[in-house]
Amino acid sequence: MSRRRRYEPQVKKNSTFGLNITSMTDMFTIMLVFLLQSYSTSDVQINPEKDIRLPSSASMTNATEAIKLSLSGNALKMDETKIADVKNADFLPQDLEDKDTNFIKPLFQELDKIAKSEDLKDKAHVKEGRILLQADKDLPYATLRKVMYTASMAGFPQLKLVTMVGE
Amino acid sequence: MRRARKIKVDHNSEFELDLAPLLAVMVKLVPVLLVSSAFVQMMVIETELPQVVNEAIQRQEDQKTPTNVALEVDPQSIRIVITEKGQEKVETIAMKDGAYDLQGLHSKLVDIKKAHPEVFKLELNPDGKVPYDIIVKIMDEARQARDAKIKFPVFDTKQGKNVETNYMFPEIVFANTMEG
Repeated sequence: MSRRRRYEPQVKKNSTFGLNITSMTDMFTIMLVFLLQSYSTSDVQINPEKDIRLPSSASMTNATEAIKLSLSGNALKMDETKIADVKNADFLPQDLEDKDTNFIKPLFQELDKIAKSEDLKDKAHVKEGRILLQADKDLPYATLRKVMYTASMAGFPQLKLVTMVGE
Repeated sequence: MRRARKIKVDHNSEFELDLAPLLAVMVKLVPVLLVSSAFVQMMVIETELPQVVNEAIQRQEDQKTPTNVALEVDPQSIRIVITEKGQEKVETIAMKDGAYDLQGLHSKLVDIKKAHPEVFKLELNPDGKVPYDIIVKIMDEARQARDAKIKFPVFDTKQGKNVETNYMFPEIVFANTMEG
């Protein structure tokens, strides 16, 4: 009985194959153009707060180094630290001075601490009293005024309002 | 004489470009750009708050300046108060279709700037109930002329002559911050 030999295809074990990377290069080129367009040239990075809807403005001034404050419908924060609570678009009575209802006590204490701090007091933004304020667009001016008033009293009169670009 | 040998060049031949190094550069560039990209563009509006002491000093100095432009924003209207040589002139911009007439405000401010090109400071006095969004929009209207053709003369001390700018009132001060 003759046994038929099984057909075995010839496979070169040391052979290489060329990967077609043209389409991948195309994709990367598109990505590169898009990323170059949205490349940030600002010295200071501002992280948008999740519960704040910023107003839009035509201003094209980049942010500079400053004390970062954010005012939402729930809280007043410095960087990521909560300073005071906000309820019904106003500060709680215990956070305000009895005789002067525009004065936010915890904010003044924090700003005063920075102004007197050994590490920070010589920095240009603290000396000049610069503040970057991110505030929700629906808040009334009365709430913002309290922050402005307290900041001004604490020796931070240069207020920079953070806005979104475009309509 | 020997004839020069002709090298055969195949003009229709194809060759494959080695894209691997280009791809390697891109793979490195993409993460770098991803990290430093700002997908939400944020800018700032510069304002100054009057300090208690500075305000008192400024008030004395301000007596020399002939013109002062102030905006009083109420929930019902916007009032432009121009103080010139001690005399007050008030112009009211009423609401239009239930909203602030920002277009009307802008054209009024352009007229004021044309009449007083030396004034760059604007005092803003919004009512406590006015939303922050409206204040930013009003500041936008006051800062710069929208029409690029509208220019205002400014005296440049370095050049010793007038130069033109489309800035109207770039220095906006919240004047009522210190009021009780």
